[in-house]
Amino acid sequence: MVFSPSEPKAPTPTLMSKTLHLMHDGLNARAFSKAPKPEALGDARWTDDLILATWFMAETGEMPENFNYMTGKSNGGFDRLDFKFIPEQEWLEHGEHLDTRLNLNRRDDGRQQLTPDLPIYGGGMSYGSVSVNVMMARARNAKRWNSFMSTGEGGYPSELYGMKENVITQVATGYFGVEEKSIKATPIVEFKYAQGAKPGLGGHLLAAKAGEEVAKIRGSVPFVSLFSPFPFHSTYSVEDHMKHIDWIQTINPEALISVKVSTPHDVDMVAVGSFYAGAHIIHLDGSYGGTGAAPEIAKKNIAMPIELAIPKVHKFLIKEGVRDKVTLIASGGIRTADDVAKAIALGADGVVFGTSDLVAMGCTRCSNCEGGPSGRGCPWGLTTTDIELKEWVQQDWGEERLYNFYAAVQWRLRDIMRKLGLSAIGDLRGRTDLLRYISGGEA
Amino acid sequence: MVLTTEREPEHEVVIEMSESKGKVLTLEQARARADTYLRYNIDTMETADRWKIPRRFNVKVGKFGLAKLLFKEFFKYFGHWETVFSRPCTYGVFSGPVGGFSPRPNLCVGCLRCEVQHPDFVTVTPNGELRALGDKYLTWRHISTIDEEARKGSVPVRGQGYRGRFGGPGFDGMFTDMSEIVRPSRDGIHGRELIGTQVDIGKKPMHLEFDGNGAICNEPEMMTIQVPFLYSAPPTNLDDDRVVEIMASAAAKVDTLALLPVDVVNRLELGGANVAPIVNCAGCEVPEGTRLVELRQWDEQAHDALENKGLLVSVAIDMSGDWRADMKEARLGGASILHLYADHHGLDGEDGFLMDTLAEAHTNLVNAGIRDEITLIGSGGIAGADHLPKAIISGLDAVGLDHSLLVAMQARLSGDTKERNSATVQLPDDFDNAWGLQRVVNLSCSWRDQMLEILGAMGVREVRRLRGEFGRSMRCSVLEAEAFGEIEGYPGGGD
Repeated sequence: MVFSPSEPKAPTPTLMSKTLHLMHDGLNARAFSKAPKPEALGDARWTDDLILATWFMAETGEMPENFNYMTGKSNGGFDRLDFKFIPEQEWLEHGEHLDTRLNLNRRDDGRQQLTPDLPIYGGGMSYGSVSVNVMMARARNAKRWNSFMSTGEGGYPSELYGMKENVITQVATGYFGVEEKSIKATPIVEFKYAQGAKPGLGGHLLAAKAGEEVAKIRGSVPFVSLFSPFPFHSTYSVEDHMKHIDWIQTINPEALISVKVSTPHDVDMVAVGSFYAGAHIIHLDGSYGGTGAAPEIAKKNIAMPIELAIPKVHKFLIKEGVRDKVTLIASGGIRTADDVAKAIALGADGVVFGTSDLVAMGCTRCSNCEGGPSGRGCPWGLTTTDIELKEWVQQDWGEERLYNFYAAVQWRLRDIMRKLGLSAIGDLRGRTDLLRYISGGEA
Repeated sequence: MVLTTEREPEHEVVIEMSESKGKVLTLEQARARADTYLRYNIDTMETADRWKIPRRFNVKVGKFGLAKLLFKEFFKYFGHWETVFSRPCTYGVFSGPVGGFSPRPNLCVGCLRCEVQHPDFVTVTPNGELRALGDKYLTWRHISTIDEEARKGSVPVRGQGYRGRFGGPGFDGMFTDMSEIVRPSRDGIHGRELIGTQVDIGKKPMHLEFDGNGAICNEPEMMTIQVPFLYSAPPTNLDDDRVVEIMASAAAKVDTLALLPVDVVNRLELGGANVAPIVNCAGCEVPEGTRLVELRQWDEQAHDALENKGLLVSVAIDMSGDWRADMKEARLGGASILHLYADHHGLDGEDGFLMDTLAEAHTNLVNAGIRDEITLIGSGGIAGADHLPKAIISGLDAVGLDHSLLVAMQARLSGDTKERNSATVQLPDDFDNAWGLQRVVNLSCSWRDQMLEILGAMGVREVRRLRGEFGRSMRCSVLEAEAFGEIEGYPGGGD
């Protein structure tokens, strides 16, 4: 399909000033409860409270008092789990001594040790699905947390090279934008086998979003739909996968290897296979995860939610005797600090944020990321490369919003840790005994 | 076939296989022959709504607030008219002749940028009229989605992740599996066209038997439809011949079956290979070309008599009664096609849901060692595209569509929609056959393509292999028990 774009036009400085002012003031008016909650905001997974709480955290770096920032109303999974806090008199002091770092290399193989300050890094969102401004805001935030963000499958815009120590290069099934240069630049190479929101279906960048720059980086022509096939056509087995990893490590012997998979019935086997192929990080992406565009039928029906996959894989890795040699990362529906802690208690080492980053920068989850009826992409400037709309997210503003949000998440993680009597986040891993299931009625 | 690589037309092609072995074709003849091959395809065409489905959102703009803003910005940005007249909506809600003074809420997609930017005078609210459609099973979301599918004929694609509840009742409690690496249909979106959606309906022997000359003694008596669904009869209280005509035409176009009452079939002269008359007795006249008839209830004599006429015979089994016994009686009596009818919420008489009842019916046949001799069809409770593969995984060979077809034709259902034949059905005022036909064809294509998404993700090459493959699915309740079983408070779990 060939898309005919309308005349693109960058906003004038006056229009920029007006729009940014109105948008930012509007987000704050809602976050600070100066205006009522929008009636149409939110859904069962991301309630209005969760979205507004995230906007509050992104503006202030603190936890809100007026909103439920812990759980949604999905009536299952994380929303039915709670913590079994110890008596208040035994709580630890809240402070920086509570260790929230995450170790990404447990293989003891002489490669670099990477330890972000938080058990969180940024998930893949490709150039094309989001703008350079969004990518840069995420990368700059990652740098401040000694953490990472993934390029997604869409290549490596030149601006990102300035942040290369904090950028994960993703190699996915279409190999869009994969170059020796970007493999050499990165501390972590992420193989994306599948994506939780559309497992087994490959990727699809709609024509409207494949503009000049996007197409150039992806080695294509502008405004043509770009399909990423499924799966890797050179991988039939763990041995083939190992060969993949060998190629990458020949180019960049220092890079850690992450393998991102979705959550089928045999996800535990897949995880163990990936470990034996040489992965440092097994990244599970659950079925309720985000996407720039996916068939609606795939989102809820194919593969399992992340809450159900984590314990399955964690226990199997223990059984195989390799749990402490690999880092297990969870994504696909991790929204809040409480979700992070619950995921870790279920058996993950850390998590990946995707949608939460976007919500922090103003996303209302309206589902028009793929272009919507306007064909231009996100009206908030997030999931778009439209020459006007992309300017609604400025890099400095986005970086600050994300930094504040992550600071609030860290605060809440430490709050949970101290109330559980734990001084290191790693001590929470697999501690399902510290969780309580809320049964009956609507959780 | 051996084909020379040179492109000159004088080069010859020697057919080395099949009935034409040894025949020599020119390259042009070979190309012409190759061009006769037609890939199965459903022709879709955007078909606009005849009844305007209620919009998703209502948009209210305070006129005084807007006037105040414009007045203020007129002076603040004097000369920068593009800035003064810039609007927060990229979808055209405020792009009418008088802008925000007369918003166009039917264009609103709920991004809420306008409401967030202008909290003092813009509000966007969900439209209660839309949410009032349907009932607790066939929800407004199903209706709105079917409407989109019937309008466009494509797979609904949107951004952002899943927005609903965790798991859920009915079919929502089942997830389908996928294959991460090893798979026969390996080409993602490009390979889906190579996945077979044909199913066979009829009598299939468990093994072939041959006579002394090597000829097959027990050839399968069956027919093939191109999609794993067929059209079940409309409710008896819907007295509108156009619906029946549309179903018959759509079945022919899609190459499936429309099950329709024999009297209506005869009166409207709807016969043909894609119409399956529903009959009460062996004496009913059926049109020439009929391949399959459905008996309203088990009647051994009628069944045998109809079979002796060379017809395939399906037997309707009403699941509100003792369907297990009825099924057993019919199959012991020689029935090879059983059509189970649940209510429109997918329940049997004991409130058992399809996922369980179909699995039980399938397993009973497996245990009896005759599963492949029986074709199992099921109707009732199919409200969304995901229900198709889930019903097949639960044990069906083919799935009957009923209410969803009416919704595709923009029928408004009211009254008791759970029971068969009790809902009141109102069709759009300017309903006509050509429009209705295309809507049903579009829906069929959309659901088939969504089936391909599910099959593609699994790496399954044909839908026939999905039947009763419980291992290709995951029950939310089972996974939850595995994941949370040791956690305090989990029902029956940790202490």
